[in-house]
Amino acid sequence: MLIIRRKAGEAFHIGDSIEVEILEVGTNQVKIGIKAPREIAVLRNEVFLTESQNKAAAAAASALLSRLTGADKSGM
Amino acid sequence: MPQADTQQFGLIEYVEDDVIEFPVGLPAFEQETSFLLITPLKTKPLVFLQSLGRSELCFVTLPLEVVDPNYQLSVSAEDSKILSPAGQTLTAVGQADGVQVECLAIISLTGSRPTANLLAPLVINRATRRAVQAIRLDNTYSHQHPVEELVC
Repeated sequence: MLIIRRKAGEAFHIGDSIEVEILEVGTNQVKIGIKAPREIAVLRNEVFLTESQNKAAAAAASALLSRLTGADKSGM
Repeated sequence: MPQADTQQFGLIEYVEDDVIEFPVGLPAFEQETSFLLITPLKTKPLVFLQSLGRSELCFVTLPLEVVDPNYQLSVSAEDSKILSPAGQTLTAVGQADGVQVECLAIISLTGSRPTANLLAPLVINRATRRAVQAIRLDNTYSHQHPVEELVC
């Protein structure tokens, strides 16, 4: 992991199209501004994890169900 | 009685009171707002969350208290507003005060092992049947908590 030190008001770039600026540094929170092209998704980590976990869960439902009930779907 | 066509359970009948509304959908499935809770006796305590809009979309879940009896629920202010517009506190079903909520953890496969998402439990207001996937802002719980002994 690349680690850089920045103060409020300072910024850095990722590639040619993404700029990240540290807007405010509080005692237990920092405020960050991100300039990126519309096609780049910017997601908080917990939302990103939940999205990918939900997609995996939807894809795994059939496999889980057949493991749980065998091929039998009349278990209602 | 309305019927729902489902890939996993075939054609099933339900009553309107069985329908759970997610006003903002679920992350990655924002368009799906109406679901049915199905609890077949055979696979208890598993609960299936079947989409009414997409017959193939069904989540396998477990009651949160089954996965972790000591789970400490934490719901953001934004999500609380969806569950309890009047701003009452959320409490587990069976307790006297506040809005009674039922919590479910979505099960997935990590590799081939079943895991529960404890980072973002489904929280359902029992009275209004409105629900939200309450993503925690802290990192107290894993999004891939192993539940092998509970599922298979």
